[in-house]
Amino acid sequence: MAWHAYTVVFAAACVMVGVYWDISWHMSIGRDTFWTPAHLLIQAGGLIAGLSSGYVALHTTFRGSTAVRDASVNVWGFRAPLGAWTCIWGCAAMLTSAPFDNWWHNAYGLDVKIISPPHALLAIGIFSIVVGALLLTLAQQNRAEDERRRSRLAVLLALTGGFFLMNFALFLTEYSERDMMHGAFYYEVTAIAFPLALATLSRAIKLRWAATSAAAFFTAIMLGLMWFIQLFPATPKLGPIYQPITHMVTLAFPPLIIVPAFCIDLVMQRFAGKLGTFALACIVGPVFVLAFLAAQWPFATFLVESPLARNAFFNAENWVFWMTPAYAEHTRHFAPPDPNAWPFAVHVLIAIVIATVMSNLGLRRGRWMTQVRR
Amino acid sequence: MKRWLGPVFALVVMVATSAHIGSPDVLFDGMAGPYAVRVIVRPPEVVPGLAEVTVRTDSMATRVSIRPVFWRAGVRGAPAGDDMKHVPGQATLYTGQLWLMSYGSSSVYVTVEGPRGSGTAIVPVGSFATGRLPLSPALGVLLAVLGIVLFAGLLSIVRAGAGESLVVPGDVFDAPRRRRANRITATAAPLLALAVLGGWTWWKSEDATYRRRMYGSPELRPSMTTDATHRRLDLVVRDTASFRAITSAVTPDHGKMMHLFLIGVGDTVQRFAHLHPLETDSLHFTTEVPWLPAGRYRVFGDITLENGLSLTVASTIGLPALTGTVAPSDSDDAWTEVPHPTLIRAAAAASVGDGYAIRWSGAPTLAAKTPMDLRFTVRDAAGRVVPLHPYLGMAAHAVIMRDDASVFIHLHPMGTVATAAQRAFSLRDKGDTTPRGRLLDSIGGPGDMPGMSLSGDLDFPYEFPKAGHYLVYVQVKPATRVLTGIFDVNVQ
Repeated sequence: MAWHAYTVVFAAACVMVGVYWDISWHMSIGRDTFWTPAHLLIQAGGLIAGLSSGYVALHTTFRGSTAVRDASVNVWGFRAPLGAWTCIWGCAAMLTSAPFDNWWHNAYGLDVKIISPPHALLAIGIFSIVVGALLLTLAQQNRAEDERRRSRLAVLLALTGGFFLMNFALFLTEYSERDMMHGAFYYEVTAIAFPLALATLSRAIKLRWAATSAAAFFTAIMLGLMWFIQLFPATPKLGPIYQPITHMVTLAFPPLIIVPAFCIDLVMQRFAGKLGTFALACIVGPVFVLAFLAAQWPFATFLVESPLARNAFFNAENWVFWMTPAYAEHTRHFAPPDPNAWPFAVHVLIAIVIATVMSNLGLRRGRWMTQVRR
Repeated sequence: MKRWLGPVFALVVMVATSAHIGSPDVLFDGMAGPYAVRVIVRPPEVVPGLAEVTVRTDSMATRVSIRPVFWRAGVRGAPAGDDMKHVPGQATLYTGQLWLMSYGSSSVYVTVEGPRGSGTAIVPVGSFATGRLPLSPALGVLLAVLGIVLFAGLLSIVRAGAGESLVVPGDVFDAPRRRRANRITATAAPLLALAVLGGWTWWKSEDATYRRRMYGSPELRPSMTTDATHRRLDLVVRDTASFRAITSAVTPDHGKMMHLFLIGVGDTVQRFAHLHPLETDSLHFTTEVPWLPAGRYRVFGDITLENGLSLTVASTIGLPALTGTVAPSDSDDAWTEVPHPTLIRAAAAASVGDGYAIRWSGAPTLAAKTPMDLRFTVRDAAGRVVPLHPYLGMAAHAVIMRDDASVFIHLHPMGTVATAAQRAFSLRDKGDTTPRGRLLDSIGGPGDMPGMSLSGDLDFPYEFPKAGHYLVYVQVKPATRVLTGIFDVNVQ
């Protein structure tokens, strides 16, 4: 069912745009109910993915043709493509997180932290929907015999890969402040997330520039949302208000992972098929860290220190309404290193080790993805 | 409803935060500009959380709005107000909710509009997490069931992903592939279980962190020094909050740095003193205890900070016998010991000395969690209602304590408020503070409340937080001496 892949990618887009919008809503307006437009977009995306997949499962099980049934897997006696099951599971996880999150707000206060257990469950549900969209499209790409159709599906996969990367970037928001970008911790955290995602996509998507394409979609989506949402007027509805906000505040300029993605694609083009997975990971991991460091470090200097970055285009003064003037001033300087910490070079080596391990995982997962047929 | 006339500043009346133990709701009777208001603020147990606000005003009001103002940010850092909703069938009653987002000294600005113009009453509240909602059994079961379904579903998806999904359409999902899928699923199961366990541990860790951040009254360490001419009580207040609850200096309230109440323990609850220690160093207080008999006493101290936050600290102390003559350290100190409290019932009256009596004239049956007026009348020996002299700037003071000391509050006819915090917020709004928020002038003079009624008919607006046996101590000054009536009451 080709329509289903497009429907679920659309649902993933709704969810990811909704999540970005919701974060922006919290940064600008603050007051939160279940019925904010951003929440509705997230829930709508989850329901579109879950219900359409549920329909596909019922249709495949009870009315599916032999070809449709052959392209499905059995779960609890019902048949549907693997991606559909992943979407149904993601929708169920999102729905489960709703009463949990509601209780959490009542027990511990409204969203004191973004990363809380119910939000993690919601994030896992959202992640599952994006993975489900990837798997549905992948299975069709892997089965496609027509080259044009395969290329079209690969582009759709690259778009979904952009949402996949967004997932990681948004979940790491609290560890990705601009003033942390000259600290070792930022590079260690990014080494956990992005090599895994980029290595997976570089293998799974049948495009010459697979990782670069996904990173380009990621960057374009993030920048598009950053520039577009800023256009809308907004004032905080919660206090205390320390920043005079008149328009929606959006997340910072996205990380330049397109640079290591391009380098990873070069590595894959040069060595894939010639080296084993682990040996390949031993190249991809260091390449990611060094390329990302080379790109993000000077760009962070620009974002933090240059007056030229303090505008809507680079969005270097995206201060939330509750940021005190003193803290806002801090954001114009890099956080000082911990005097007791190991030298930065040691942390870079740690980041390389982490990136290598995660690249290995990603390459193995990518290889599995190339084999998914149903 | 008690109504005060004349705002302190044009069209603005301020009241103060409530210092209390176990009695978190804030009640205020007063004026919002030209409109009489009774405001009840029920702070949330968690912060950030929603405060419930009820406002009763006069029939001239056409619009009532509320706005949360955090002291540190001031009114300039507050969001726009929200209109309150009329309660159906109640022409003068409005309800609304607002978010208290940060720990510390906060307030609710109540603005009333009508044909007489507009006016604002400021009702400061302490904004701290004080409770935690337990997980109800029904929700716990629901989450557990959903969790089990999700866990089983995920394992099934892992099995399908490791096995059948890799089979080319049309091929058979044969036994070797099934065995491989089962092996991978068997490996994934403990890993997923570990992940669930990690999530559970994370939840518990967040819970423990939250509990550490819950507000508890600052610690009060009392110590006694006695000799022939002194029975000195030294008090040290220590901020025990994991965050800093006491972030600014103590400021005088009714001209006193601390209002200290000593109440006898057990069968001696009729022993009561209202003293005013001096602050000798930061959060160090000292006072003489001249009259009370030896024995065990509960000690409650009310302090107000320069940021408008009022706090109650509590402890117990054994008071040694007097060995000589001790003079009070403050001329406004007052003490009493009556034979026994007077049970509040219809027309119950307590003789308080000098020929005066305080009579309970409110409803004989009191219900918990219900806003009410505690009504008393001060009469002379001839039975006439007498005018009162201000005592510490107020027509009367009342202290309410549950017999197990789980509830304690010091209130006035204007409500469950101190008076120093009102000006703290007002001066903050006017900009009369240093960049760090320190007030530039003394804010706690003992001046009387403007327009205050000094009639012997007294109303104390209050809401008992829970059922139980309570002691009510009422202090008035009908002539030259401060007299105290002690009542006890059963609240259903």
